[in-house]
Amino acid sequence: MKKGTKTSYLLKGTPSALLVLGAGFVMASSADIRAALGMGAAVLVAMLLSSIVISALHKVIPANAKLPAYLLIITGFVSLISMIMQAYFPEVVDMLGVHLATLSVSAVVYRDAEEVADHNGEATSIKTALVTGIFFTVVMVVCAVIREFVGKATLWGEPIAFMQNYKIDAIAGAFGGYLVLAIVMAVINKITKLHHHLDEEEEN
Amino acid sequence: MKLLKTYVILIVIVAIFAGAMFALNLHTGPIIEKNNAGAANDKLNAVMPGGSGYEDITATLTARPASVTTVYKETSGLGFVMLCTAESSYSTAPMEITLGIAADGKISGVEITAYNDTASFDFRTKDPSYLASYVGQDSALADVGLVAGSTFSSTAFRNSIVAAMEVMTANNLIAAGVKGDDQILTELIPTVAPGFTKLAEAEGTGNIQKVFTAENGTGFAYIVNSGDATVLAIVNAMGVCKVYDVEGADITANAADVVAEAVAHASATPNKFTDDLTTKVGRMMEGAADITPIALDTFNTVVSAVSFTVDGTTYYAFYSRSIGFHQMDVFFVIDENGAITKMDAKQFIFDEEYFMAFGGMDVTAYKDGFVGITGDTFTGDEVIIATATMTSNAIKESTQDVFTAFNALKGGAQ
Repeated sequence: MKKGTKTSYLLKGTPSALLVLGAGFVMASSADIRAALGMGAAVLVAMLLSSIVISALHKVIPANAKLPAYLLIITGFVSLISMIMQAYFPEVVDMLGVHLATLSVSAVVYRDAEEVADHNGEATSIKTALVTGIFFTVVMVVCAVIREFVGKATLWGEPIAFMQNYKIDAIAGAFGGYLVLAIVMAVINKITKLHHHLDEEEEN
Repeated sequence: MKLLKTYVILIVIVAIFAGAMFALNLHTGPIIEKNNAGAANDKLNAVMPGGSGYEDITATLTARPASVTTVYKETSGLGFVMLCTAESSYSTAPMEITLGIAADGKISGVEITAYNDTASFDFRTKDPSYLASYVGQDSALADVGLVAGSTFSSTAFRNSIVAAMEVMTANNLIAAGVKGDDQILTELIPTVAPGFTKLAEAEGTGNIQKVFTAENGTGFAYIVNSGDATVLAIVNAMGVCKVYDVEGADITANAADVVAEAVAHASATPNKFTDDLTTKVGRMMEGAADITPIALDTFNTVVSAVSFTVDGTTYYAFYSRSIGFHQMDVFFVIDENGAITKMDAKQFIFDEEYFMAFGGMDVTAYKDGFVGITGDTFTGDEVIIATATMTSNAIKESTQDVFTAFNALKGGAQ
């Protein structure tokens, strides 16, 4: 990677900062594993396609048109993805509700486009979009497994018999969403710090 | 030039995505439309298995009560789906019901999509098979009763289904079911014995087919074989009996055998209401003497009546058992002029958790507010407490019933 170019928080080793930007849709989509996978796929595809297009066109788009142009591109892809999901995954769209549409103004997707795709070639942009999209998908699915199991006593919508009397409704709600996300972020922080510590030891 | 380039680029992006969306919509549009129609139909298909499409025919119907909100006709001729509401004394909002009626007039399915009555009285929990008992019934609803312990809510639900079926028969969309004599007579009970609430049904013996026992102790109702006919006999807590035929006519004078059998059955379950009322009179009215029980031919919530004197003045005391949030035991003393002299209740429920909102209420002042009220001046509004409508409505019912009993005692209109 060229010196001075920008990359994602993930590739810089600060995934928690990226999670904060996407906390809204992670929380909203992680009450159910199917919704988490659906949103994860939508984020991944939207980031991938918009990154490819923006990195290909960033040199021909004038500086004063970049903000509206990038928003148009992201919104366009999100709308197309939304149409496909409405046709083939209507149940997932019902679960995601308005949060699928608001993906077009998500700070995560826009930041990826504006700070990575706008400063790098297609290869780096694709790599960043893939890593970021997969990262979010994994985080949302992990959160969803915890929230479904503890909050709804279900997995993939199927009731878990022995959990029915122990479920904690609040975990499936907004409070539980942020609580579980905070716990997952804490774990990611711990792993990240441990990883940095090992890198520093190797360098020394 | 730079500005022009900006405009061109933005327009090109918009045009490309608009074209892409247009092209994609040609493929996904019909699928999405089908999905949306399917989602809307899912709710209706739940009570109309195999339904393929629905046409809203609500506007074409006559004699439609407010509880029937929407009526759909299944387009292939399977039947009809009705969206209805039901409301009881325990409703925080109307119960929402989806009812399927097959073309042969029988119920194909029924679901409650929003249950807004008190959760602890949920008849679906008390009797998980209750909703299923409606399936296969025609408009007579012959084999569908009420749920013990959830009488108000299940009555509201049943009444809503009855109203829905009546709309369909009134509009000649389905054939009316035929009711048997025993069903007609059973449905007559609330009309001729309005005070008999929360009826528990049991099999009878001898000529008595069925026995209905009012949970509030107000009396018994019997479906009785009388020769070739089937009649309804009701016996109140004071041991007075009346007999009705399937037309609803009072045939007591010509049904001595039925009266004897019904009274004998009722007297096998003695009550202590007159003893309780006598004790209460002694406490409420100092110097009460010559306490004499009175048997009244009223079938409301009044379970006992006595006359007595205090210093040579005659008074009448009545014991009413209406149902509010719980069972109420309400006592009234009325003078010869028909004015309330005293009012009390065995247990004012105001101290219970449900009524903590007005824990500071002056109960003595509330009771004293009844003094002087007569049947002519009583409107009902004066006893209603905004934060305890169920209990105060029960007291209102008791007050009205006691004035009715007093009129019966004096030979006036009931």
